Amino acid sequence: MWLTAIKRECNIIRQEPWLKAMLFFLPAALFVLMWWIFSYGIARDLPVGVVDLDQSRLSRGLVRYYDASPTLSVARQLNSVEEGSALLRHGEIYALAIIPESMEAETFRGQSPTVAVFYNTQFILIAKLVNSAFVSAQTTYTAGIDALKHMASGTAVPIQALGQALPIRNQITPLFNSNAHYGQFLVSAAIPAMWQIFMIATTVLALAAEQRRQGLLVWLNQQPIQQLCAKLAVYGVLYLIQGILFLWGLYGLLGWPMHGSWGILLLAQILMVFACLSMGTMLFFLTLDATRTMSLVAGFTAPAFAFMGITFPATDMPVLAAVWRALLPVTHYIEIQVQQVDYGNHLQQAMPQMFALMCFVVAFALGILRMLSWRRKQQEVLG
Amino acid sequence: MSWRELVLHEFKAIFTNPAILFTVFGGVLIYSLIYPLPYANQLPREQHIAVVNLDHSAISRELVRMVDATPQVQVMRTASSLDEAKQWLLNQDVQGMLVIPEHFYRDLLLGTSPTVAFAGDAALFLVYGTVVEGLATATGTLSAKAKVVRMVAAGNNLTLASEQYAPLKLNMLPVFNPTMGYINYIVPAVFVLILHQTLLIGSALVGAAHQESRQRGEIPYTMAYAPWKMIMVRVSLFTLIYLPLTAYYFGLSFESYGISRLAQIGDLIAMTLPFLVSVTLLGIVLGELVPRKELVTVIVLLSSLPLVFSAGFVWPVSALPEPVDWLAQWFPSTPAINGFLRLNQMGASFAQVGHWWIHLWGLAGLYLCIALGLMLRKQTMQRMHSVSAMDNRVE
Repeated sequence: MWLTAIKRECNIIRQEPWLKAMLFFLPAALFVLMWWIFSYGIARDLPVGVVDLDQSRLSRGLVRYYDASPTLSVARQLNSVEEGSALLRHGEIYALAIIPESMEAETFRGQSPTVAVFYNTQFILIAKLVNSAFVSAQTTYTAGIDALKHMASGTAVPIQALGQALPIRNQITPLFNSNAHYGQFLVSAAIPAMWQIFMIATTVLALAAEQRRQGLLVWLNQQPIQQLCAKLAVYGVLYLIQGILFLWGLYGLLGWPMHGSWGILLLAQILMVFACLSMGTMLFFLTLDATRTMSLVAGFTAPAFAFMGITFPATDMPVLAAVWRALLPVTHYIEIQVQQVDYGNHLQQAMPQMFALMCFVVAFALGILRMLSWRRKQQEVLG
Repeated sequence: MSWRELVLHEFKAIFTNPAILFTVFGGVLIYSLIYPLPYANQLPREQHIAVVNLDHSAISRELVRMVDATPQVQVMRTASSLDEAKQWLLNQDVQGMLVIPEHFYRDLLLGTSPTVAFAGDAALFLVYGTVVEGLATATGTLSAKAKVVRMVAAGNNLTLASEQYAPLKLNMLPVFNPTMGYINYIVPAVFVLILHQTLLIGSALVGAAHQESRQRGEIPYTMAYAPWKMIMVRVSLFTLIYLPLTAYYFGLSFESYGISRLAQIGDLIAMTLPFLVSVTLLGIVLGELVPRKELVTVIVLLSSLPLVFSAGFVWPVSALPEPVDWLAQWFPSTPAINGFLRLNQMGASFAQVGHWWIHLWGLAGLYLCIALGLMLRKQTMQRMHSVSAMDNRVE
């Protein structure tokens, strides 16, 4: 029975263009698209504007320093603050630096004038980059002036002159994602989020195809549970291949660093596939209507990315968000993926998440119960 | 076959379709509560770090206290060795560590700039950024203090010294979202996308439902009306349904989350109109193209993440590959998100977002032409089909 059921399923997939697309072409295309969007990896040359009211050697040097920062690009030199403010509102520049009048003169008098930088914090990710680029450009430039002043006033040794200028130096080491690559950080989470959508939606489409072709009752006439499991098994294998392919693409083909065990990741993927099959099955048998189920699938999976705890730490989420988060298979999977890829943890540390994924068996059981009770009722009606 | 009948037909098609009602009214309401949920606390705070203090001087202990006092980080533990702190980091007990080197105090006195080392878990960007920010603030303050002390020791006046410790100061002034809150960042843009996606599904489902009934051999009322009339009625109905929903998002919802609304109400409506019209029209096109209703939701669902990431608020447009940026311009969500953000959050004038407004009307015109073409073709095919069916019967 299993073999014939599996063969039959493969035939259905061959005849249904949308199932084929959801299993092969679309996931590949969208996974590549997600990578492509972030393929530059690091935001460079973000346009900023400068209003240089001083127009001195010192101020021009400072502007050159800003421009030399790989993150910033002084796109506009403006004559008035109003002009710059309009550009900032328009979003054409991400920040506006205002160099005060007589900055050079004041600096040499020892009065420490202030450069004001208005930066757009509506786009937080970009704002953080712009902020740290300005701070580091200015610090280096100021340290240079300071060291020069100290050497001019008699501190002979350059290292001491620098010490006068910068009493404490910082050395910052980003661990686990050492080149601060936004692509690695966002893509490796966005793809699993899409994978979850593909898996749950395709499961629903597969069951809906059965309903449309010969009707669920004919299909479930004999050995309903085995029929269901045989069908899901075919999709499960194909989903797992999708999962393995994206992991291979990111950590093999693109060569992003991966410190953990492929075995643990594979196990996590198998459980993730199972959890998504369970959710798809349960949601479908809940309504027995493809369109309505798909609305539920959309409601359930569309906000998943925000709840994964990648862009915003899960520990800072309120209880209600944490509960919703726990109901999404992908949040448990992504924790194992991050653990493996970045930290190389042991299997033992992944057990809580593995266990959480196993709990989705409850959804599967609910789906089957609903399916059986529906079948019994239908058979009674038909006598 | 009057206008009145057509309006009633369309009205019925929308309000008797549970999937449309669930998506449009349920979706808009539920998402307005669910999406902002993870960010309710706005900012990550008090991230845990470990300290390795190899100096044990009064000044190094002061540095630790200053780090702890910043809102961004909290010193959880003091490690006796580097290895111990590393292990905590690996176990994710702490998100970062601060190493104060031996002879820190002596080097500071000698003026040879001791180096304080931070290491943070950069796997989670926001956490890393927060930890680094906190640590940098603390060392920056201590650094400035050390300079002031040195200047006073060299005979300068204290007030002067505390003002003049740096030859040039930098004042970073955040604008538009001064608290750097995450709700203010994500919600205004994602809400536009939610309106976009639910309206798209709703409008496409009407057409897709007709399509399905045609496949069952029924002849839907759409055959009796000129396509341009039907499009006009459907666009007007959805615009009327979505105007209060949009008002709920930009009004009550923004209000309750404390999100700024800088736009003039007139400007907001002016931008909303072409947005709703163009999305409804794109939905009509989509509804004509898909063979079955459930596929509408699938397509719209799959497009959500790519649309968010290519709209320019998460990831700068200048860092997007050009073809992706070009592709994103064909969806009303891209100009709409950009236009609404600038009007509402950044206080731009309507003239400054005029090109997004024109862009939206342009898309509306384009999708109107495609929708008309598709509907006309379908009607012609249906007529030929029924004529041949009649011929068969006559024979």
